[in-house]
Amino acid sequence: MAREPQEIEIKSRADTLKPRPWPVTPPPSREEVAKVYAKRKAEDFGAWCEENLWFQKAFEKPEALQGVRVLDVGLWRIGHKFCTSLLAELGAEVIVVEPPEGDPMRKLTPFGREEYMLKDQKSGEPCGLEFIHEMRNKYSITLNLDTPEGQKLYKGLANRADIIVEEYPPGYMDERGIGYRQLSKINPRLIYCWIGELGQWGPEKDRVSKHGQWMLDPFGQAACSFIHNTGYPDDFMPRGSGGDPTRSGVWLADYVAGEQAAVNILAALYYREEKSGKGQFIEVTAAEALMDILDFDISWYGFNESIKARTGSWDPNLNQYAWNPCKDGYMMIGGQTDRLWYRIGMCIERDLPQFGRLIHEDPFLKEVAARNALQALVKTYTLTAMWLRDINRVEAEEKLLEYEIAAGPLLYIDEVCEFPHFKYRPWVYTIEDEHYGTILYSTSTTAFQMRTPGRVKWLGRPLGYDNGEIYQKYLGIGPRMQEVLKEKGVL
Amino acid sequence: MADPREVRLEDLPGPKSREELEDMKVPYEEYCRKIFDVGNEFIKPGALEGIRWLSCTMYIFTPHSVANLGELGAEIIKIEFPRVADPMRHTSPFNECYFYPLHDTRPRSGTGIGVLNANVNEYYISLDYHRKEAQEVLYKLVKMSDGLTECYRPGTFDRWKQSYRYLQEINPRFIYVWGGGFGYGPKAFGGSYDILGQAHAGLASITGFHEDFGGHPVKHSNWCIDWYSGTQITVAVLAALYWRRKTGLGTMIEFSQVQAATRCLGYGVPLYGRFGVVRQRWGNWDTQLCVHGIIICGKSDYPDEKNPQLRNEARYVMVSAFNDPDFKELCTVIKRMDLYEKYKTHKERVRAEAQVEIYREIEKWAADKSRSEVVRILTEAGILAMPVKNDKEVYESEHFRQRGTVRWMDDPMLGDVVVQSTYSTGLFSETPRRKFWDFRPVGADNMKIYHELLGYPISTIQEWYEKGII
Amino acid sequence: MCDIIWCKKCNTVNYLDPYCFWNWEGKVKCAECDEVYYIHMIQGHMYKGPEPRPGEKPDILPLYADKPYDGYTNYPPGVEGKTRPYNCTPRHIYLGKADWRKFSIRNRPMRAWPQPPSTGIAGSAGFYWDIKKLTPEVWEEYQEKIKRGEVRDW
Repeated sequence: MAREPQEIEIKSRADTLKPRPWPVTPPPSREEVAKVYAKRKAEDFGAWCEENLWFQKAFEKPEALQGVRVLDVGLWRIGHKFCTSLLAELGAEVIVVEPPEGDPMRKLTPFGREEYMLKDQKSGEPCGLEFIHEMRNKYSITLNLDTPEGQKLYKGLANRADIIVEEYPPGYMDERGIGYRQLSKINPRLIYCWIGELGQWGPEKDRVSKHGQWMLDPFGQAACSFIHNTGYPDDFMPRGSGGDPTRSGVWLADYVAGEQAAVNILAALYYREEKSGKGQFIEVTAAEALMDILDFDISWYGFNESIKARTGSWDPNLNQYAWNPCKDGYMMIGGQTDRLWYRIGMCIERDLPQFGRLIHEDPFLKEVAARNALQALVKTYTLTAMWLRDINRVEAEEKLLEYEIAAGPLLYIDEVCEFPHFKYRPWVYTIEDEHYGTILYSTSTTAFQMRTPGRVKWLGRPLGYDNGEIYQKYLGIGPRMQEVLKEKGVL
Repeated sequence: MADPREVRLEDLPGPKSREELEDMKVPYEEYCRKIFDVGNEFIKPGALEGIRWLSCTMYIFTPHSVANLGELGAEIIKIEFPRVADPMRHTSPFNECYFYPLHDTRPRSGTGIGVLNANVNEYYISLDYHRKEAQEVLYKLVKMSDGLTECYRPGTFDRWKQSYRYLQEINPRFIYVWGGGFGYGPKAFGGSYDILGQAHAGLASITGFHEDFGGHPVKHSNWCIDWYSGTQITVAVLAALYWRRKTGLGTMIEFSQVQAATRCLGYGVPLYGRFGVVRQRWGNWDTQLCVHGIIICGKSDYPDEKNPQLRNEARYVMVSAFNDPDFKELCTVIKRMDLYEKYKTHKERVRAEAQVEIYREIEKWAADKSRSEVVRILTEAGILAMPVKNDKEVYESEHFRQRGTVRWMDDPMLGDVVVQSTYSTGLFSETPRRKFWDFRPVGADNMKIYHELLGYPISTIQEWYEKGII
Repeated sequence: MCDIIWCKKCNTVNYLDPYCFWNWEGKVKCAECDEVYYIHMIQGHMYKGPEPRPGEKPDILPLYADKPYDGYTNYPPGVEGKTRPYNCTPRHIYLGKADWRKFSIRNRPMRAWPQPPSTGIAGSAGFYWDIKKLTPEVWEEYQEKIKRGEVRDW
């Protein structure tokens, strides 16, 4: 992937908008990595793993969900998109049904900067990066679900599909006669999954504003107490500039809902194939999916009325388990057990003898459980930061890894893309897309399997690009009829 | 031959019985309530009944992926080291919450609440892989199971002749899952925690307040990235189960936790790849939508409560008004129509400088009001707003109680425990998820599995127990 | 000494927690004696200080302080006049050690306190917590609570 080095002068923002070569430096060679395995006496096993799991061989192997057809209808949010991405990466055929104007998420771009949108090479239509990144291996058709003909066509498609993933406000589909209770009569094998923020029913179910605006994440994050527990306490930073409950930088609740929906859908698929022959109705909400993974927080309230508090980048359950500021960023050091605790001490006291003295002489820090007390955390991290402020991340990582401590620098996105391990076993990869050119993307997490690895075949899809193929193949509607429907506003 | 003049009810369109007619007519919300039937989950089957899975896992990441299968009805056997067991059993917030006992040899040591929810519905046995008797036991279990998930350093299971290349010989239908920090490559032996995943994958660099405002990158609450990555393994496992029905072959899956965290970065990676722009943190606001963020109100909702979380912290509201008519409504409510005139289009509003100004103005308006007042005023004006809830409010929420998300459970070993979500992680109309017990003491099902399932005589089991093999 | 102030007058180590004090300027009072120090921290390094400023009013107290020469006796957060309180705790009580409780917040029994051993062969346990046999006094207490109507649904 490496190309010739280029000189680029940056004089204005426009100069930054030139495609970057990736990777800037080549990944380590297989011989170098084989040495790493040999150090731990696992050369054979390492070689076997690489032979069978090698990322670039994915296209030689079959797809796990080949033959499964999924309809994806929804706007604005990431939940249903992530769910169908996971299925599409594993080989399912996913058809995204968008309204004729397209999914509004196509128009979203950071800070409204249209320079960051990618233009379709043929039609010139711009599309935001968030949408493109999640539109992997999916077909795009347009259909107006507010018209009777549109609804009829949709029912036809639903009859041919195994799975429908829907993310409209509660009751939207049902009012138009294309909700689960209507479709399950036509296609009893249909597995129908609704994904939302708070629910289709209940006193606080998903609602739409007076002017028709939908609820998006982070409403899901706020409703399950995730935001309340994340952030720096106002003892560490002033309230209003850091010492507040903080939302996640990404639409996390939607991602979690999407992946749980994929789990639930595949379980329902297994049940249908193996036992019942029938489909079912599934509902997944962002708030509840995220609440499920908030460890024990609500159970803790039921234990003794404790309300989980935010602790910034420290963890109240383990010591050491935090990141602290260092010379050129932040460094994460982890180690809970006695063995790791003393090893961290040995590593740091080589440069800072005071650490060794103040920490290891203190009788209150001798017992593992006692180190979780708040004062122990303050003391430990203050002294750790004293060491970190003089050292940069790369050095610190090297020193700590010598003692086999789990430590890692806090990486920014450009550093993530250039980290040697992440290039060797690709975390990010480039794809040459027919419409949008070369795009760097986060690889499929299911791509490292022996027999049926997941893979990304294309990224992004112009609006309605597959109208021709899908309508012809599944509904027998040819080009002339499609033109008529387009005139009528159905397509 | 059927009489063509006779019209059969089954051939006509529309409902076929009174129940069906009622069903089609009820309002949608009631229909959903009925079909999901919260509270009656146990009489319905589990989706994955008949699958048996081995969980040779520790901490949260890999156990959660297997617990998902357990919640969906599979039978899970969790294998831990004798006495010491899963290190997660020794974690507890601020050292305060423990369930007893850990193991009969240490009656005064408890199992920390940190392990709650990660290993539900499982049978717990203990086994020391280092001993030679253990290999025979494991091979027997492998022949009887559908799959295994492990999280030890690469090469460890291989040394004990338990890695996939050995196990596929004795059970070709076996699905083998390895979950860990990094997978093959130069950092293959790196240990991994949730917080490492967040830091290393770039997720921490985009969460938190911006550097210019004095902020630092912030850790997502507790260990949610561990759990988030674990669920993706379950997706891969279920796809492998589906594929196995066609071909009869198992497979090996290698899954990296840090990679899963990079997967959810959104537009960050393509933005860097194409334009060289590195995404930064943007605090409680949104980089692509305005107004869509969290604001501080002047007064907390519970000024007299003892608990500092209620007294000081209950004053944040999530407000969302990014469409033009909603933004206009918002400006009307805060009596700042000049803002609307200045930022009529969304493209204007979403610029960084505009966002700074707009949110400051909204917070100025909210500075003399309490949280519930702000939510009430905005909701009455038709704008979407919601308080940022804390654990107590989630516990007391009527919405979550009706949906069965928050409920009490009488665990057979632990007593009265609150269940959070689990059932509502996916409401199913035919095969609901459920939780019948949480975790159990170390080796609680040794007799059940070793004697009743694998057929070892009681004397052997006792002998192994004394020798520390189980 | 930076990031900690080792007060030479009374030999107490005052810990300046890394996030709060990473970029900070002002006066800190020693937890033990009343010495006030002026410090100016930039990127974690003590650019200026600690300069004793006798008689001036401090801006802030440290979160934690201990005495290395005195067996590490310490002042946890929130000691009046010595350390500043930590306001972001989960409850108004901070224990720092195991909270042994017999009943959950709705007054039903919960196995959160040490009990006598009760497993069978090789550590096997059944599926029934026999409170009546293991700890009859708690069972009695539970019956009392039921009679008094304290046992709730939520």
